[in-house]
Amino acid sequence: MTTTSAETVIRPARAHTAAPTATVRRKQGFQHGGWFVAPFLALFALFVIWPLLRGLYLSFTDANISGDGASFVGLDNYREALDDPLMWDALGHSAWFTLLVVPCITVLAFLLAMLAHHIERGKWLWRLCFFLPFLLPSTVAANLWQWLFNPGNGMINHVFGLETPWLTDKSYAMLAIVITTLWWTVGFSFLLYLAALQGIPAHLYEAAKLDGANAWHRMVHITLPMLRNITGLVIALQILASLQVFDQAVVMMDFAPGPEDSTRTFVQYTLEEGFTSYRVGYASAMSIIFFVLIAAVALARMWLLRNREEGGR
Amino acid sequence: MSSTAAQIRVKSRTRRPWTPSQIVLTLLGVAVSAVILSPLAWALFTSLKSETEAVEVPTHWLPKDWTGQAWSAIFENGNITNWFVNSLVVSVCVTVIVLFVSALAGYGFARTEFRGKGALMGVVMAGLMISPAVLGVPLFTTVQQMGMVDTYWGMILPQCAPAAMVYILYKFFQGVPRELEEAAFIDGAGRWRVFFTVILPLSRPSLAAVGIFTFISSWNNFLWPYMVTNNPDLMTMPNGIATVMNSYGIQWAQLMAGGLTAGLPLIIVFVFFQRQIVAGVAHTGLAGQ
Amino acid sequence: MGRPGLNRRQLLAAAGGLAVAGSFGFAALGKGADALASGADARVRYWNLFSGGDGYNMIAMLDSFRKDNPGIDVKDSTLQWGSPFYTKLAMAAAGNRAPDLGVMHLGRVTGFSPGRLLDPWDLGLLAKYGVREEDFNPELWKRAVIDGKLYALPLDIHVQLCFYRKDVLEKAGLLGDDGKLVQVTSTDEWFDVLKEAKKATKKGLQTIGLWHNDQNFQWWFFVAFYTQLGGTWFDDSSTEVTFDTDKATQVLEFLRRHIADGYADPGYGGAAGAEQFVNGSPFCWEGNWSVPVFDTAKVEYGATPLPPVFGKPATHAESHSFVLPHQSDRGGAANEAAHRLAAYVVQHARQWAAGGHIPAYTPTLSSAAYQELQPQNEYVTAMDHQATEPKVWFAGSTGILAQRVGPIVVSSTTGSARPEAVARRMKGALTTLLAMKNPMDGRTAAQGGAVA
Repeated sequence: MTTTSAETVIRPARAHTAAPTATVRRKQGFQHGGWFVAPFLALFALFVIWPLLRGLYLSFTDANISGDGASFVGLDNYREALDDPLMWDALGHSAWFTLLVVPCITVLAFLLAMLAHHIERGKWLWRLCFFLPFLLPSTVAANLWQWLFNPGNGMINHVFGLETPWLTDKSYAMLAIVITTLWWTVGFSFLLYLAALQGIPAHLYEAAKLDGANAWHRMVHITLPMLRNITGLVIALQILASLQVFDQAVVMMDFAPGPEDSTRTFVQYTLEEGFTSYRVGYASAMSIIFFVLIAAVALARMWLLRNREEGGR
Repeated sequence: MSSTAAQIRVKSRTRRPWTPSQIVLTLLGVAVSAVILSPLAWALFTSLKSETEAVEVPTHWLPKDWTGQAWSAIFENGNITNWFVNSLVVSVCVTVIVLFVSALAGYGFARTEFRGKGALMGVVMAGLMISPAVLGVPLFTTVQQMGMVDTYWGMILPQCAPAAMVYILYKFFQGVPRELEEAAFIDGAGRWRVFFTVILPLSRPSLAAVGIFTFISSWNNFLWPYMVTNNPDLMTMPNGIATVMNSYGIQWAQLMAGGLTAGLPLIIVFVFFQRQIVAGVAHTGLAGQ
Repeated sequence: MGRPGLNRRQLLAAAGGLAVAGSFGFAALGKGADALASGADARVRYWNLFSGGDGYNMIAMLDSFRKDNPGIDVKDSTLQWGSPFYTKLAMAAAGNRAPDLGVMHLGRVTGFSPGRLLDPWDLGLLAKYGVREEDFNPELWKRAVIDGKLYALPLDIHVQLCFYRKDVLEKAGLLGDDGKLVQVTSTDEWFDVLKEAKKATKKGLQTIGLWHNDQNFQWWFFVAFYTQLGGTWFDDSSTEVTFDTDKATQVLEFLRRHIADGYADPGYGGAAGAEQFVNGSPFCWEGNWSVPVFDTAKVEYGATPLPPVFGKPATHAESHSFVLPHQSDRGGAANEAAHRLAAYVVQHARQWAAGGHIPAYTPTLSSAAYQELQPQNEYVTAMDHQATEPKVWFAGSTGILAQRVGPIVVSSTTGSARPEAVARRMKGALTTLLAMKNPMDGRTAAQGGAVA
């Protein structure tokens, strides 16, 4: 229904579109193409741009959760944040998590993809098995592993004959979260690798075979170089996702910051400050700091990509 | 890259003989699958034990007494069914809205001209870096100002502006040959008619990929519903399972049954729409290249 | 394209369309399936944080309320105990979607911005349902009144206890003539008791479970023993930190020694301590809510307040109370039903008391039935020497103070940091907190930030 009404509104402009040369179209101003992007832009402005601006504003105030009575405090929140050992700890935990997860997931995903790619029978089955955990909600995966890591009657200690207090000792807690994350998310990167592997033209391998290259050579000289882009992508996506880790960490630790505060992540700390300590202004300042950090990572990747492209030419 | 290039096709060549290397690889695949699936099997078996047997020491895989008590308990209690409905409502609404607005926007950016397009596109791309994890607190206060805390719309609308989906469809529409449109224009069709009668039918695979991917991420979304809903009546599945406790303490069998209930719909969907989902995930990921 | 395919497609499209329409319709109604299905005159949304034995007893009390009041539909939700519960409650109140009734630790009420996030009780309504001020311990009532208004209706007092197994201690010769644990008045005596008890303990079991890696319990135990030493936190005007690092070090060393001397096994922190106790470990320090757990396990046990090893008896105490989270349009049937429900539970708390809590409602406390309860009558005196957190806005169960200082205490008990260093870090944390402004009113503790 909306389509026809929109069309009648647009009708006066039809005469122009009937002669669709680039120059004519460019002169139409916002009215035409603008309507296509307007619904999205409205949502985008309300729920992405406005919160960003609002967060920036709030970060200069001492706003609380009730949403009234905030006063301007200048750079106090930022000064406090940079001086806050808990914030640095939290940032450290998120960074440490990222450092542990990203290499493991990249290697694992690659190996799984190679395996699934080279087995000739039942491809759908391997794909299903390796990808399945990713279909679970994060909280379900976390609950499941909380249960597996249970010291008394959990399966992990039982199977491996251990008595490790996985979730209550600060030397194991982060490790337990990392293992859970690997199991839960490796399927996504696995699929990316699998798609890339299947996108490598077969004639490259055939040509190499004719030249007498063995399987190892084919992998080193064809597969790996052809996967360079996708590896960059997997790593970048994983870094961005891992820095934002929250779900698994809080659920596995029952919403606490872990033994001796050892698993409090950055996102968790901002939410604690904002919603548990009601310091919305301070939490906003940390959010902005985090945004800058994430943006820096994303820009660094773009810069790297551009450099490589130019270097390649 | 076109949409179909990302699709992973099951090779339907004639079966090859079992070579030694194939046997080794298949065995390896079976072993790896067993490791990956064993936690799920453990969850399933736990859900079929009685609560006391579930926490028994030493623990064991198979239930000695198979019982469906955990399953009947979670459905009697009512929370799970309630949350299931909520998850469905939220995910369906999000998927429909996202498909609608991002298809329009992707096309708008790819094929129409208007003032400020380049700048707007840049802003949207910058939006890729913003998520509820990054700007959770300001986003909450925004939604709070609108009076939408603890409402379905408060959960739904902030999930409906995914810059990534616009970008994917934008890439796709750029790849659609202009000749198809031009022919329709010459027949006197307007932009909107061309979009709905020529472009949309062509982009069904891409829309399916975006739609399925959106549905999965919305169904599994925890962080945003967790922030914006406090009323257990309105919680979605992942949120309710994690934040609402059983009054009798942690009941592992019920917790596992509830978790499997939350995961099952997507697993079933995956089995049926495997090709589209694989394409969707690969596609959404690869589009970032 | 064949006709059957077309039909199937139409069917699928119709089903999909229906699902989409249904979803949008549901979202537009915006109430949730359960609320839509409720046909009662009044529906009370009640949030609590009770699980385990407490949850069991709370459900039983709610069920009997439901039976007596069929016109009222009680929708109870149990949220994760501790700060997640308070976070949800605050966010719901701030978003003006608060439940009709909630539970809160009394120590948290001052910091929870009464008036902003909490609504006061209607004393007239409470009286109508049979609850009056004179039925409560005056001290307790006073803590619930802020700016002359009642913001919390106390349900109980709960304390940290030293549970002991009579069968094991009898073998070790540690029971007095009355069949109760011998008096202990110094740390040396206490460790002598542990030493003897250890000899009588079965192999593979620890001597005492004390939640050594739990930041809440360790903080509560610290508060108890630090109070026994007469330690203070801040001066009366809340301008200066009077925390005594020497006393704190003594307490930290005392807690640490349980692990260092091998009485508590580092592998059995947390709830495993109670499991060990049930299996025959002689001691565990637990909240009084463990009473029903050990009752059901048919353990022969007693329970005293934490031993007065530093002379003066004192044990950590908190209170559960009912609160009315802020609703801008509070009133009407749901509000009245909330008053009725809270009044009912407070007056029918016999089962709650059997669950280990000391009832706040004095008619229950002085009833013969309560005074016969075992081991309740052994520890009911604990309410006369309560060790509580300082009365500042950042204190209270799982409040900011506990969250900041608790992990520091744990690091000493588990041995990852030295007691003297930890005592200094605690003092540093207290200094920071004292200087901090209450975000709800922008005042520090000294400026009376939200404290009555």
